[in-house]
Amino acid sequence: MQRLKQKATVEVAASAGQKNAKPAKVNSQPPAPVLQQPLGRGKVRYDRKAESEFFVDNSALAGFTGERILYMAVRELIENSLDSCESSHILPHISLSMKMLDPANDMWLISCQDNGIGIPSDKVPVAVCSFLTSGKYVEKQQRGLFGVGLKMIAAFSTKDTDHPLKVWSKSEEEKSEHYFELRTDIGTNKPIVLLKKTLKADESRITSDSGFRVEAILRARLSPITKSKIYDYISQTSIVNPYAVLEFETDDGKVMFDRRTTVMPQPAKEVLPHPSDMDLMTLKKAITNFMNQKTTLQGVLSGSFQKLSAEKAKEIIKNAGLENKPADKYDEHELIEIVKVCKKTKFHTPNTDHLSPIGEEILTVGMTSEYTIVTSREPQAGTKEKAEQGIEDAGNGKMVAAGNPTQPQIAVKILRPALTAYSSKTCVVNNRPTIVECGIAYGGDIGSFKIFRFANKIPLLYDEGSDVAREVVSEVEINKMGISKKEVKEQFANPEAKSDRAVELLPLHIFFHVCSTKIPYKTAGKESIASEGELKHYMKSCLSDLYRKVSAQIRKELRMKEAQSRLNLYKYYIPLIVGAISESIKVDSIKLEQAFTELAEKHVTGEIAGAPVPEKEDAITGKRIEEEAGEEKGANIEVNKGKVSAEQIAAKSAKPNPPRSRQVKEEVAKVKATVPKGERANPVEKLKATWKGEKKTAKQATGQTSLDVYSAAGDKKRSKR
Amino acid sequence: MPATDKRHQEVIKKIKLIMKDVSADLMDQKVLPVLDVPKVGYDNTIWSEEKRMLTIGDKTARISPDSTKKIPTFAQYLVMANAVRKLLDEEMESTIRGMYYATLSTVGDEKNKQKFWNSQENSDDAIKAVELLTGVPREEFSVTSKPKGMISGPITLRVGGDLIDCSLGSRATSQLIPTNIRDVEIVDVKADFVMVVEKDTVLNNIRKSGFIQKYNAILMTGSGEPDRATRMMVKTLNEEWKMPVVVFADADPWGLGIALRYKIGSESLSYDSDRLVTPDAQVLGMMFSDIYRYNIPEVARLAASEEDINRAHDMKKKPWFQDKKWQKELNIFLEHEEKCELDAFFKHGFKYLAETYLPEKLREAGVI
Repeated sequence: MQRLKQKATVEVAASAGQKNAKPAKVNSQPPAPVLQQPLGRGKVRYDRKAESEFFVDNSALAGFTGERILYMAVRELIENSLDSCESSHILPHISLSMKMLDPANDMWLISCQDNGIGIPSDKVPVAVCSFLTSGKYVEKQQRGLFGVGLKMIAAFSTKDTDHPLKVWSKSEEEKSEHYFELRTDIGTNKPIVLLKKTLKADESRITSDSGFRVEAILRARLSPITKSKIYDYISQTSIVNPYAVLEFETDDGKVMFDRRTTVMPQPAKEVLPHPSDMDLMTLKKAITNFMNQKTTLQGVLSGSFQKLSAEKAKEIIKNAGLENKPADKYDEHELIEIVKVCKKTKFHTPNTDHLSPIGEEILTVGMTSEYTIVTSREPQAGTKEKAEQGIEDAGNGKMVAAGNPTQPQIAVKILRPALTAYSSKTCVVNNRPTIVECGIAYGGDIGSFKIFRFANKIPLLYDEGSDVAREVVSEVEINKMGISKKEVKEQFANPEAKSDRAVELLPLHIFFHVCSTKIPYKTAGKESIASEGELKHYMKSCLSDLYRKVSAQIRKELRMKEAQSRLNLYKYYIPLIVGAISESIKVDSIKLEQAFTELAEKHVTGEIAGAPVPEKEDAITGKRIEEEAGEEKGANIEVNKGKVSAEQIAAKSAKPNPPRSRQVKEEVAKVKATVPKGERANPVEKLKATWKGEKKTAKQATGQTSLDVYSAAGDKKRSKR
Repeated sequence: MPATDKRHQEVIKKIKLIMKDVSADLMDQKVLPVLDVPKVGYDNTIWSEEKRMLTIGDKTARISPDSTKKIPTFAQYLVMANAVRKLLDEEMESTIRGMYYATLSTVGDEKNKQKFWNSQENSDDAIKAVELLTGVPREEFSVTSKPKGMISGPITLRVGGDLIDCSLGSRATSQLIPTNIRDVEIVDVKADFVMVVEKDTVLNNIRKSGFIQKYNAILMTGSGEPDRATRMMVKTLNEEWKMPVVVFADADPWGLGIALRYKIGSESLSYDSDRLVTPDAQVLGMMFSDIYRYNIPEVARLAASEEDINRAHDMKKKPWFQDKKWQKELNIFLEHEEKCELDAFFKHGFKYLAETYLPEKLREAGVI
């Protein structure tokens, strides 16, 4: 009671403050002047804020924060344009321009034109300026959902500049082009139409059958980081929209992303909500829709939700312990019971007609011709040709360059991977049907690792570290690709790599696309997806599928790479080996090098082909060298002593060349019995025997030498004793 | 003169044979050659009960220019073999570090430059491979290491033709044991036994006390990890000159390890144990029990590190440590987790080590 009383006094105080004014609701004037009146101590005033004012004050909610204003503007404009084209299955052609207008005051002119369905002229001012007014509040997948983006641009333009927002619209229905100059009344969330006119043919800006063009002046700063994010955003948008032509013009030049396919994804259809996602609000809304028809609750349920037959509806009402009566005859408590029962009841999985995945065909086109914007930093020094040459060398791809050669200029580079693969899964996350798509592109022009994240076809560029995709990639073991971490680290050791995770050393691009009417974003900025519920599980299984799909090819690629690096090694090391040999023995070093190189190449190509390389059986061992040395020595001794059999001598003289290793072996086998035992010992044994076994010979030969000296003297001493 | 050295000729001949075999494989047989080199190290070392020493097992590494990893290794072995041949042809000698510098080069082109050796360790390995392939220890092909072993006492050596009497000046200095053992000869030994200590500092102290003269002993040290020449000298004195050999090292697992280099050998030189190891050497101290028996004050004891303890646990399991006496010693160490250096005896007075501890130990062992 005490509290209520207090509140009442506050209200009294508030109305007392505007004693002479009419009540605010009746008055068309905004309540702003009232706010300026000082309040008494301990007094609180309750005001209503216009949506526009709320969003301008809390622009971060929509992602419009200082540094990101231009980025968000680009994003919203492109997304609106794509939605507008796709809703009527028009192949999009979008031209975006972002130019510095007044560097002293950080003024930018940003414009965007599309060939979408346009907006009927009577709806244009509200659609552009009034927050939370949108044609998109339906249960289907769209890029924009909130009806905030374009309005934000209009509001910021109004707030920071005295320029109007210029809009050209040619809607499908009207076929005539209309021009508007608009500003937003931020205090009331209402458009201010400064100028509206229907354009004659010669004034027309929109050449397509229908379309929309907007030009806004914004005050914003553009840091190099944000600039590169804008480039990334446009590049990545083109990857998942390869059926769109995107033109992008900045002060650094103009680039064009070609249309690479005319296939468009099936547009999303509007569907009824799924009953497991029902809450009191959706239920009451459904009942209100049937208000005039006196429908029973059973009818409302089966008519307003998918996967809910009349029979099932009857069962639900029964399970809630209620009578079936006209829907508007239930009180809230009873309706809550219905919701509770629905949460516990099993329904068929929701259908996915309202979702619009990219699809294997389109994503594959996007992945196999991945456009990226590159900035050439060639200063005045170089000619245009030289500048282009430079990028060509670096990118090794097709160039579409334009612009002023004296400035840092942008161009488009197309990456062509060696292989791509696609996989998708349909699942239910947060009670909403969700489609997870995953693609990977490997090798070719792709030089390094990167994760691409998309939600409802919108690239997500910030906060990658906290995104579920990052977790998925680090949790799916690379050995699913049939390669080991060790192999990867050997083949792709890269001192510049930021991470030492094996997968991130691969020249691999991983694409994730999550589509759902309710993406579990981590923040209101819609930049990263939380690792919620089943989503991660499905993403992991998608990625595992892909790793398995490409494993054979990746292994082959790795073999090729290994072979290539081996060929390089041969190139470097063969001369060293040949040098060492030819310095030691008489040999035709040119022939030897040739023979070695041929053999090496044969070996490498054989291995690429996957042919088993025959293992050399007869290795050069210490034992063999010992035997060969012993053979020569032994033979000499034998000859001197005249103990060699005629057969052995014949065998020797039959061979014109000095005995080769294998031949030596055979011979050794023959002469074995006659060779002194010490000479044929195992090399290690031999090594051990060096002191004792041979010392006598050495001593006899040279008098006194070496190691045996110790023992030679030892002999002396012993003999003394 | 040494060019006619038959040993050198034999090494040169063997190296040439390796080269011939490699080129024959490449040019005539049209196969990639394989060098089959015995593996050296922990996983290919076997305890031989019969010989009472660590010996090399029969595991081998097949080095062939057929993989990214082995192409450089193969080249390294051949380049090193050729360098050894050159060294012998030129009648020169070199340290292992010298061989590293002699063969140093870069490989590859401007874009992708690599070092031929990553470190001297690689070139030392290549020298080992040449030893194993030719069956000749490196001292025989004049590749030596820096001398660090020392000797003092009634022994006469002939080094490079000149006589060196190691008892001269033995109150004040010791002789370095040359590593080019081919130039060293033991001419005469007049001692009763040989005492090896771990460190040169301890040797200096004992020598200064007149120990050599009093007990007619030869004092030796390897200054920590003994080189091959020192080990060989110890072995020769024991086996050829019938000198009893006793070893004293610090009372910690590391010191014990060094003492055992003389007695049982080491993993990294297991292929050469027959030349290097003195199985009859007696490790007399410093025992872990001596820390308490001789009341080494606590300040002079050191706390055992985790590594020491792990090492001791390892040692306890080794076949050559199954003797009850050693098991007991290791248990004492593991119980107290304390270690002690021989130098700690200086706490009892500078002459205590040489005049009390060592004679007592030697008397117990029946050496004096």
